Amino acid sequence: MKTIVITGTRKGIGKELAEYYLAQGWKVIGCSRGESSIPHEQYQHFALDVSDEQAVVAMARQIKSSHGSVDALLNNAGIASMNHALLTPADTVNRILQTNVVGTFLFCREMAKLMRRSKSGRIVNFTTVAHPLNLEGEAIYAASKAAVESLTRILAHELAQLKITVNAIGPTPIETDLIRGVPQDKMEALLARQAVQRMGEVRDVINAVDFYLRAESDFITAQVLYLGGVC
Amino acid sequence: MPDRQAIEALIIESVQMLAEDFELEALKQPDSDSPLYGEGGALDSMALVNLIADIEEALAEKFERSVALADEKAMSAKNSPYRSIRSLTDAVIERMPA
Repeated sequence: MKTIVITGTRKGIGKELAEYYLAQGWKVIGCSRGESSIPHEQYQHFALDVSDEQAVVAMARQIKSSHGSVDALLNNAGIASMNHALLTPADTVNRILQTNVVGTFLFCREMAKLMRRSKSGRIVNFTTVAHPLNLEGEAIYAASKAAVESLTRILAHELAQLKITVNAIGPTPIETDLIRGVPQDKMEALLARQAVQRMGEVRDVINAVDFYLRAESDFITAQVLYLGGVC
Repeated sequence: MPDRQAIEALIIESVQMLAEDFELEALKQPDSDSPLYGEGGALDSMALVNLIADIEEALAEKFERSVALADEKAMSAKNSPYRSIRSLTDAVIERMPA
């Protein structure tokens, strides 16, 4: 039975990804700042802040002793804050960078350590179309994801010798808490910039993640895949 | 705090396991003075990264100590702590929390 670690599993895309991989027969290890919302025999939950280095290291050690290694990591946990740059406090900036950049890095580092002995592994990071589309009001969120993309490409090179692939997926807006509060006209303008002009769905994300996780995808690394025809 | 002998034994064991994994004949029977990285050393940079990660993990598991061996001090040191098992042992002792 394969083991996958998914961050941010309490709600939204992360929860649906966890439920999907459980249904596919994977063991799923999830985390969020709160308690578990997934009652399943093959699901294990850690309540932590993904940017807390000690907590992430402790989680990795616990996984090592209980599971030995992991096969895949989905760095889904992320936060956004939509606001004009002139009105964005430094506290918000730090919070977004901590969760999106530091959190993603810590999980890549600790899970890659667990993957390295089995000489295989799949890491999928989460970016956003807000970065290539340079969306107004999302300067810090998009900048944090630009950092995630850079991290993805460089880690792909650093981890290639260990047979670990590192890729990213950039979803378009999906109906989750993350985009709650974005005005309708803004959303329509955003959709108009996609080649396929509809809201994204979790199945679109799952399809791309599945592709990255396939055993045959061992030659696919350092890639960023935007959904909806954004480039 | 574990004594020097115990720390060196842990490092030697980590080097031996790595030598098996990376098929490094020169390090299958290492001693305190076996060169690791740099002049005469058998490790390339990726093997060194693996060794440091192995040692950090082993220190956490056996002695319940969290030690970061690849800190800025180590990276900028005039005499690299990664030269030999002896110098790595010194580096661990220096960084190990009491």
